[in-house]
Amino acid sequence: MIQELLANLQAGSLLAILRAAILVAAGLLVASLAGRLTRRVLRQRLSAQTTQLLRRIVFYGVLALFIASAMRELGFSLAVIMGAAGVLTVALGFASQTTASNLISGLFLIGERSFEIGDIIRVGDTTGEVLSIDALSVKLRTFDNLFVRIPNETLIKSEVTTLTRFPIRRLDLKLGVAYKEDINQVREVLMAVADANTLCLDEPVPLFIFSGFGDSALDIQFSVWARRENFLALRNGITAEIKSAFDEAGIEIPFPHRSLYAGEVTQPFPVRIVEPAPPEQKS
Amino acid sequence: MEKSVTKRHQNLWKVPQVNSGQQLECRIGTLELTIAHGVGEWMLFSRSIAEEEADAQVRFDLGEGVPEAVQERFVQVGESGRVILAPLLADRPIVVRPRQPVFLLSGQTTTLYLSTPIWLQILVGDPAVLLKELPVIVPSDTWFGPSTREGELCYAGRTQARHDPAELPDRPHRAITPLTIHNKASTPLPLEKVSLPVPMLALYADQDGRLWTQKLTLTRHEQGDLASIQIESSKTDGDSSLTRLAEPRIDSERSGMTRAFNLLFGDGS
Repeated sequence: MIQELLANLQAGSLLAILRAAILVAAGLLVASLAGRLTRRVLRQRLSAQTTQLLRRIVFYGVLALFIASAMRELGFSLAVIMGAAGVLTVALGFASQTTASNLISGLFLIGERSFEIGDIIRVGDTTGEVLSIDALSVKLRTFDNLFVRIPNETLIKSEVTTLTRFPIRRLDLKLGVAYKEDINQVREVLMAVADANTLCLDEPVPLFIFSGFGDSALDIQFSVWARRENFLALRNGITAEIKSAFDEAGIEIPFPHRSLYAGEVTQPFPVRIVEPAPPEQKS
Repeated sequence: MEKSVTKRHQNLWKVPQVNSGQQLECRIGTLELTIAHGVGEWMLFSRSIAEEEADAQVRFDLGEGVPEAVQERFVQVGESGRVILAPLLADRPIVVRPRQPVFLLSGQTTTLYLSTPIWLQILVGDPAVLLKELPVIVPSDTWFGPSTREGELCYAGRTQARHDPAELPDRPHRAITPLTIHNKASTPLPLEKVSLPVPMLALYADQDGRLWTQKLTLTRHEQGDLASIQIESSKTDGDSSLTRLAEPRIDSERSGMTRAFNLLFGDGS
């Protein structure tokens, strides 16, 4: 009698487990299909970042519904699970502070939209292209083709530079010319170089700033603008052009030098010219 | 909105046939171009020279052999030696700055003749296929807009901004845009720089082989900072001797025709 009851119960629970398993499997399938469909439909219209976000929301939303149904099939009451989850969250929250912090930071990062997938960002010493913005971290591909994972919390706390936000960029060149040079002539030569370079934008006009009297040189800042795609090409091109234009105009780029002064009362340094020493004989 | 640039590819100049084993040296204003026809391939070498050294005449020299320096090679199997050089206008607006500042006083109307460098499409074979599109002068980039965040990437150009069409020099590598400006406001209008929407214009040639675009009319209204820009259907009044060489690259939309004045004339207005 008791054995029969047990057998019935087991058969019933086995059936429920089977149903739950089928529900979860179907949920995975449907969620993945819905996710792919979302991506295909929205890819043309929205940015890569929004598409990825919506795809994830659809995927996890559908999956959560199916898992909840599977739990019910197994006889769990949703209210009880929710209550348990509340208690569990507090415990888990203490245990996984970093993860939770990253998770929340991730939400803020996505909401703030300071960069998107495909942008090039600089965080600390790392510069790279954003591959994905995930719940816990942002993945970058650096220019030397390394994969870098940066926790969202770090990004929220630190300074992030988005290099590809605006269409044009300014290149600041720090130059030094010898004290004997005429600043106006230097300025004309630099402007002519910028004018001749087709990558360098005419507008905004190149900026010439005389920044001060340095130790060995007159310090100059010369700033030119370029399309961000041409930034590197301009940086490589214009420096060589400035060097050759300076050489042609006879403008000296000095190296640090030091004058020795023996004082007013002392005699000048005695300088004696000697014959160069004969090369040493090899024995 | 980009569409096929030339409906019918036309040779403005008499370009000779380049058969296999021959090379053609072209000199079009500031552009020195060598097109060589090898066995199953075309070879190209191009170079821009300074505008001061440019010739007023277009020259073609047909020779034998292959040039020593080749920049690019294009594979095409076919016997036809037909070469088409089709001129067309730039692919971005050109910001033209008169060499000296020009002011248009209140209530005045003037027509300025502004020239902009052209682009060249090289087509070969029968039926003609595009080999390459290149500018006769590589113009400098420039930014045109109210700030470094908003605006549009353009090409920079210099012009004499002449009033008299008779003074215009013959230059095969430049197209002339007649721009009529009405200043209906009470203050003088500084013409420090003008953004010419050349991708929206069609290209024409007159009987002398000179290149023209459609006429533009700009009206600065009495109030507000808006100016209306109008593209006329032809270059000059009643001039029927023009041949249409190239269609506009971009269809002009009516909504885009009224722009903020400072977008057309820079910050100086």
